[in-house]
Amino acid sequence: MTEVSIEKLTKDYGQGPAVNSISIRIAEGEFISLLGPSGCGKTTTLKMIAGFEDATEGAIRFDGRDVVHVPVEKRDIGMVFQNYALFPHMTVEKNLAFGLEMRKLPKGEIRTRIAKVLDMVQLTGYSERYPRQLSGGQQQRVALARALVIEPKILLLDEPLANLDAKLREEMRVFIRDLQRRVGITTVYVTHDQAEAMTMSDRVVVMFGGRIAQIGTPSDIYERPANLEVAEFVGQVNIIRGKVGNRVVSTAFGDVPVSGDFADGAELMLALRPEAVELLPINSGSTGAPAKVLSSYYSGSLVDYRLELATGAVVNVQTFPRTRFADGEQVLVHAPSDRFWPLGTVA
Amino acid sequence: MSKPFFTVYCLIIYAFLLAPIAVVVIASFNAGAFLTFPPQGLSFRWYLVFFNNEVFMRAIRTSLWIATLTMVISGIIGTMAAMFYVTHAGKLKETVRVAMLAPLLLPEVLTAISLLFFVYSVGLGTQNLVGMIVGHVLITLPFVFINVSASMESYDPAWSLAAQSLGAGRFTRFRRIMLPLIKPGVIGGCLFAFIISFDVFTISFMLKGVGMSTLPIQLFDYLRTNFTPEAAAVSTCSIVLTMAVVVISEKVLGLRIHRF
Repeated sequence: MTEVSIEKLTKDYGQGPAVNSISIRIAEGEFISLLGPSGCGKTTTLKMIAGFEDATEGAIRFDGRDVVHVPVEKRDIGMVFQNYALFPHMTVEKNLAFGLEMRKLPKGEIRTRIAKVLDMVQLTGYSERYPRQLSGGQQQRVALARALVIEPKILLLDEPLANLDAKLREEMRVFIRDLQRRVGITTVYVTHDQAEAMTMSDRVVVMFGGRIAQIGTPSDIYERPANLEVAEFVGQVNIIRGKVGNRVVSTAFGDVPVSGDFADGAELMLALRPEAVELLPINSGSTGAPAKVLSSYYSGSLVDYRLELATGAVVNVQTFPRTRFADGEQVLVHAPSDRFWPLGTVA
Repeated sequence: MSKPFFTVYCLIIYAFLLAPIAVVVIASFNAGAFLTFPPQGLSFRWYLVFFNNEVFMRAIRTSLWIATLTMVISGIIGTMAAMFYVTHAGKLKETVRVAMLAPLLLPEVLTAISLLFFVYSVGLGTQNLVGMIVGHVLITLPFVFINVSASMESYDPAWSLAAQSLGAGRFTRFRRIMLPLIKPGVIGGCLFAFIISFDVFTISFMLKGVGMSTLPIQLFDYLRTNFTPEAAAVSTCSIVLTMAVVVISEKVLGLRIHRF
């Protein structure tokens, strides 16, 4: 197992940095996702870790050894590409054997390792097939097996699920995560899909414009986003504004106590996730702000409402469909004050 | 177009294309003393004359030798050029393509004359095959380039990257991954190079040394003073040889070409 440490890594193609002095410490066996919109530098970062791109500045250390000047083929990485990049003229077995042959392992050992890895990805019996004879999901698993069979120091995945259909994608998320845990390999996973990053990772690195916006566990990222950009990129969020006074923000939902240093009179933005809000009948006698249902979207397990508060602000709310409210109905909305997260003052 | 009409249409086109060849082949079995059609009796008489004609035999050997060398050299240079063109040319892509195809656009006789000047001004002369080979490589290069770059277009660069991530160096990546995958284009291009080189007249005519002769030149020379069916026998052999190259390559390597 390998610890990876990235220090002040920068890539500049000549039109300003694509990756701007980022530092990440990845623990042994940790699963890290680089998450961000396209062009945020996540793929460039991955390519630098792999060695396909030279770093303009900074260091990449595998177990303390700087590998910036080690060529890809000597870096001992396992990489899974977006379109799998299986060799079309080779059978599954030959694809898997390729990396082992490069390492000059004896034939017997190659055979044993291939059998073991095929079992691991549940493709025993497919060794004589050509890639074109496999389904997308099977090709994906061969690509994973090919990367893992060489027992690399680190596993790199570049949006590996982007070409799969929705159902298969969810299955593969679990599959990859389980496999990674069993093998215990340090893993860097690039994706623009926040659900993928959240469900699979130990920690998520959110990137915007070549910089790291936040590093944290999935719940850190979701519940305690570092700023407005992160909050809006990861899941749905309501931005509630209010003036600070005496360590309390007065909002349409009532007074919300805030910790942190905010000057009295400043206008603060608070993040409130749709599922943190409760909806109650208007005559229930509970505390809460009155609101009108604008529209609702039923999706089976959940209902999404758009509500208009008395102040005119629109709030998105997600609830279980146990109690349904009709469009146009008056309701009470309530959110526990600990579900508000301060994002900073309004610029 | 209705189906029977289309069939007839195709038959006419093929007849139009193949009739002259058929005429030559049939005329080569003429038993008479003059190149006429229809032949006066059938025999292998003129084939025997041809096979015993040392001048023609030498010309054939020269042609095969030049065609083989041309194929190898043109194959290597053309493949490398196509690889550069597809993967590394960047902004120069269009320029590289036009430059590579230029020999196709220029009249062959111009290329031949300029090469003749060139080989003499650099002191090579025409007494060795170097000038001739250079000429043949020049005019066959576009065919290798076109074929290889066409098969490179369907080559996913990620295959090379994957091989690299698995520990393969530059040469291994080319030999084990890229070459097998672009092989149909390389083989196709080489076949073109061989056949065109075997067939070309103008360039060979300009760049040949005194007393040296390729098959097309020898045939031309022969027809200036003779009009026997031997010429048809030579042509038929030339056709058979060319077709043999195509058929054999298809049989030996074709299985692999259609593998995926």
